[in-house]
Amino acid sequence: MSTTFLPCGVYHENYPQDHAWWQTKFVKGKMILLFLLVFVVIPLLADAYWISVCNQIGYTILGALGVQLLIGYCGQVTLGHAAFLAVGAYTSTLLILEFPWPKFLIDWGIAYPISIVIAAVVAGIWSVLFGLPSAKVKGFYLILTTMAAQFITVDFVITQYVSQIGGRGQAFSLPPGTIKIGPWVIDSDQKVYFMMLILVIMCVIGLANLLRSRAGRAWVAIRDNDISAEVMGINIVKYKLLAFFVAGFIGGIAGAFWISNLAAISPEHFPWFWSLWLVGVILIGGVGSIHGAIFGSIFMVVVMELLQLAIMPLADTYPKLLMDFLFIKEAAFGLAICAFLIFEPNGLAYRWWQIKNYFNLWPFSY
Amino acid sequence: MVKPNELREGDVLLALEDVHMYFGRVGALAGVSLEVRKGEIHSIIGPNGAGKTVMMNCINGLYRPQKGNIYFKGQSILKLKPYERAKLGIARTFQKIEVFRGMTVLDNIRLGRHIHLKSGIISGSFYIGKAAREEVEHRAFIEEEIIDLLEIEHIRHRPVGMLPYGLQKRVELGRALALEPELLILDEPLAGLNLEEVEDMARFILDINEEERWKVTCILVEHDMGVVMDISDRVFVLNFGNKIIDGTPEAVQSHPEVIKAYLGVEDLYATRR
Repeated sequence: MSTTFLPCGVYHENYPQDHAWWQTKFVKGKMILLFLLVFVVIPLLADAYWISVCNQIGYTILGALGVQLLIGYCGQVTLGHAAFLAVGAYTSTLLILEFPWPKFLIDWGIAYPISIVIAAVVAGIWSVLFGLPSAKVKGFYLILTTMAAQFITVDFVITQYVSQIGGRGQAFSLPPGTIKIGPWVIDSDQKVYFMMLILVIMCVIGLANLLRSRAGRAWVAIRDNDISAEVMGINIVKYKLLAFFVAGFIGGIAGAFWISNLAAISPEHFPWFWSLWLVGVILIGGVGSIHGAIFGSIFMVVVMELLQLAIMPLADTYPKLLMDFLFIKEAAFGLAICAFLIFEPNGLAYRWWQIKNYFNLWPFSY
Repeated sequence: MVKPNELREGDVLLALEDVHMYFGRVGALAGVSLEVRKGEIHSIIGPNGAGKTVMMNCINGLYRPQKGNIYFKGQSILKLKPYERAKLGIARTFQKIEVFRGMTVLDNIRLGRHIHLKSGIISGSFYIGKAAREEVEHRAFIEEEIIDLLEIEHIRHRPVGMLPYGLQKRVELGRALALEPELLILDEPLAGLNLEEVEDMARFILDINEEERWKVTCILVEHDMGVVMDISDRVFVLNFGNKIIDGTPEAVQSHPEVIKAYLGVEDLYATRR
């Protein structure tokens, strides 16, 4: 997407100004208001239910960022991203439960943060492994090889082998108090919410910075035209694998974050449908834009929750509605994607860009 | 003793030696030899299907010839991948425009700086200190050297896919220039341009070749005979994968084989076996 038009009367005098993120006073004010909203207003006003909805949104954003990087920026269609979330979640869980941490690390609450970093790296490497076919295949064929990631990782390795570690069988339960960052035990939705905010902000900043530097441009170049990208001096195999690594890395963070919100973790938390869901999220939000991942996540989660709220009162008269809610949810997901592909194929992010430009150029929009 | 990377004007920069390229049983190049000297504009002409673009693809590594060898600055580059050849200083533009349509003009040209940038994924994700400074330095280079030269200031923030054809060609040239190449392969840079754009483009090519700042050696594949004969130092004529002549524009124009193969003669049917 091209850059936003600047409002009348704003001039840049040097290149750093033109490279900056927030280029006008208005944008800076707007961003401060946004931070106030998410850090102060929402935790103060929202009840536990809406905070948990926000956590769900944050988790979806973290997952969708990786998918957005692969599909939207690097053009490598992936349908197995939940596998890397699962790898992150399981690595972090196993590290917390099984690794013989020195006592002081647990007391200081550093074990979980360290496990997040290790989980991210492991998920990144695991993702590179399944990104290797991208060196040879493109498009539809790559979709199938990434689906293999899902089935091999979640349905085979994790269900059959990883879940058996420690003789637990299906699920790993996380006893209360094991998830601890510094002095804080992450035991309420509110605390998960703040952790989610910090992780989302870090990942968004990191990814946005990558996309305006050397690696990000190389990814977009590979998406747009891989032959001329190679002729321009880009090692396309290396950069495709780097994209898979970064996507897996963010996915690993997402997975390791999500265990703080769960009492127990099992392979059912990472079904193939979740991979598909993340692709749907970026389709609705807008392919090829970080805003898209965020808007899409908010839209999908909120719409699903509203759907649930709408169905609740009807459940007394039609109890079957509640029983079949999962199917209704999937149908709504399909409908939403159809509607967006027909009426707004560029997604919510494009609408947002149009609105911004409308106000920047108002009243002379030509 | 001249070091291999310090060639003087007139030394051989690129040499093709007996290059054979077959697609199945179709011979696209049948033993072509070519020497491009530093500082010259070496044009390659020939009828459609003569193998000109195949030859260019061999030079920058998209195809690997079955037989023969290619030398750049005295060393064989036959086994190098396209991106490795780009790092040596071979840039090209394409016959059908191959710009990055979703990126802005500025980002396209920035991408050409790829081999000169150093930031990796870690420094890039923080974008402080060196990584940010590097972006500013290269932005200055792009603005002052390339955008100014090619006169595309007014479209620098526009997505390339939305620009008219002539400007896209110009952006593609700018992107190749951003590599600061020693050898620039121009594959039909004038195709599909109107008269004014052709004149502009020819002027840009001459600027790039002659200005002290650039001094880029060019290989020009082109059908526009007027421009080719005016700006080339040497002309190489290719027909069905065979060299007909490699010489000055005057020598080429008067060569009977060239007239027969390319420009056409009236008794063409009589001479065809």
